[in-house]
Amino acid sequence: MNVLVKSATIVDPKSDFHNQTVDILIEKGTISQISKRIQNPKNYKEIRRDNLHVSQGWFDSSVSFGEPGYEERETIANGLDTAAKSGFTAVAVNANTNPVIDSYADISFLKSKAEKHAVNLYPIGALTKHSDGTDLAELFDMKTAGAVAFYDYQHPIANPNLMKLALQYASNFKGLVCSFPQESKISGLGVMNENVTSTSLGLKGNPALAEELQVARDLFILEYTEGKLHIPTISTAKSVELIRAAKQKKLDVSCSVAIHNLIYTDEHLKTFNTNFKVLPPLRTQKDIDALISGVKDGTIDMVTSDHNPIDIEDKKIEFDYAKYGTIGLESAFGALNSIFTIKKTVELLTNGRERYAMDTTPIAVGNSANLSMFNPNSTYTFTKDHMFSRSKNAMFEGHNLKGNVYGIIANNQLVIQ
Amino acid sequence: MSELSVNHLLGIKYLNKKDIQLIFETADHFKEVINRPIKKVPSLRDITIANLFFENSTRTKLSFELAEKRLSADVINFSASQSSVKKGETLIDTVNNILSMKVDMVVMRHPNPGAGVFLSQHVDASIINAGDGAHEHPTQALLDSYSIRERLGEVGGKNVVIVGDILHSRVALSNIYALQLQGANVMVCGPKTLLPKYIKDLGVTVETDLRKALNWCDVANMLRVQNERMDISYFPSTREYTQQYGVNKALLNSLDKDITIMHPGPINRGVEITSDVADSDQAIILDQVQNGVAIRMAVIYLLASKIKH
Repeated sequence: MNVLVKSATIVDPKSDFHNQTVDILIEKGTISQISKRIQNPKNYKEIRRDNLHVSQGWFDSSVSFGEPGYEERETIANGLDTAAKSGFTAVAVNANTNPVIDSYADISFLKSKAEKHAVNLYPIGALTKHSDGTDLAELFDMKTAGAVAFYDYQHPIANPNLMKLALQYASNFKGLVCSFPQESKISGLGVMNENVTSTSLGLKGNPALAEELQVARDLFILEYTEGKLHIPTISTAKSVELIRAAKQKKLDVSCSVAIHNLIYTDEHLKTFNTNFKVLPPLRTQKDIDALISGVKDGTIDMVTSDHNPIDIEDKKIEFDYAKYGTIGLESAFGALNSIFTIKKTVELLTNGRERYAMDTTPIAVGNSANLSMFNPNSTYTFTKDHMFSRSKNAMFEGHNLKGNVYGIIANNQLVIQ
Repeated sequence: MSELSVNHLLGIKYLNKKDIQLIFETADHFKEVINRPIKKVPSLRDITIANLFFENSTRTKLSFELAEKRLSADVINFSASQSSVKKGETLIDTVNNILSMKVDMVVMRHPNPGAGVFLSQHVDASIINAGDGAHEHPTQALLDSYSIRERLGEVGGKNVVIVGDILHSRVALSNIYALQLQGANVMVCGPKTLLPKYIKDLGVTVETDLRKALNWCDVANMLRVQNERMDISYFPSTREYTQQYGVNKALLNSLDKDITIMHPGPINRGVEITSDVADSDQAIILDQVQNGVAIRMAVIYLLASKIKH
């Protein structure tokens, strides 16, 4: 693939051209020239877009595509297309499948499905067999096959001894263990944040306490085991505090927050809209403020869309019965860019690769082109027309976003809207 | 002519004060009707109402059915145990199937909070919520306030305590909203395990000592402990619950004033109230039941008149 990107403002602090508006010549997938003005004698395809900006390719550490088993929600092929059109060049895919991805063969299946795609798919293997929280899955074997982390998606590890063993065992080969922050006995049958809104709606509450107890427990176990822990999708103010303190103690812990948990409070559930039914649940403004300060000071290492397509049959039903989840890849950039500066937004969208032991490729001559292309200034209302996912369960539907994505250049391919 | 501000009765929280006044004034008229020798009016001869009960109910279902028949509406009944719901049909499909037979109004009881709201967003009929999980039971709260008004002259300014299992109660929530709209002071009383942690934020006072609560109030609304909604024991034994939160005649007699005792039914005699309390002049439990028919006639009549417009 040969392409000439015209008049693009580079947003990449690791690039010599950071904040400069330049032309970028890409030949056979590699950046061969960057300068103010590049001629196009070979008549390569040119990309010119309004207010075009480029950055290193974005990465999302928590997406679900359903396949195998839940193809009615999403397929790997369409999921990766969605990621590409949403500006992502890499996604870590959860074992949110049926059967659960918990073996070498399963990891290989995911890799092979994504082989020729512009977007790199990094599989996350289940931490326990069938994600049932009883016995460890073959973690080393899965790592050999390409698993970047081990996570029973949204299933808490109830048994603290199992968490201890997981952290100890995975540290043999620097495996990244993820623990969903929820104490199930405390969360009980809760379907939304426990607060005055849950009380007024008669919905069972899932208290912040459930998350914080589990975070505290896992940090204690981490300190004991000296392992490597990632806590995906924290949602409460106290979780931020706990992790901040753990980092000060130099524990090897990282964490993420879902973008929607940075924007919406539980009050959005007042109309029983099931697209707002997510796990962890939407919390309060106080939590949002603490999460945002955690993002700003680096306590929270990465943000994620926690993209989770759910088909209409599991969403257009009574609230208690509806499945948790919202799609988020398509709205990720516009939502983040609405609350952070473009510099911070890009930083957040490119963070996390190192934690998952992935390469980063700054925008420089000689590097392979791994680019996201976007306009940070446009504003629009996010509608079904902006959704590429097979399922349309978007929390952000009808909301105003700032910034739209043009596409990506990665793996010697161009995907552009 | 005045009309309701809403097209459905999904919860008290969606009503305003004028709606409640209108419902009460209309109920006054119907209360007079149901005490006539011929207890029926021809108002809704052109209206068909489906009573959909996805959860067991005795008095609410009977009360609605009677109200509908007193208004001369055509009535069909449906309960989940006999239906296709058991075969996996969705709520929207079930209701749309019924509506396609030209039904104008749906009265629904459902175990899930928000089921009525959900239905109103997706089907074309007037919906009356007859209880949705632990969310709301608006006609119960209306008849409760109506009964207080009947006994004490007005609701505004009165002190009302709701006692018992607030956590699992739709009656409590609807009552809180209804009483507050009319200017009453509301307290909830029960063991902390049965009080939602954030209930105070709804503007009610919280008391765990029943004697203090009863001394404060003009009216005590005694709720049943909803064992069927509990996934774990919220208190050690019924005996111990009764020791702390049961009302008996001796306790009532020891108060400084005569308070009014209410209960939405069904009563667990000897648990939340003893028989001598339930059957005393201070209790208005059977008045509540009678008023329930008049209130439901009023609600159905007022919503039906909006359909006709």
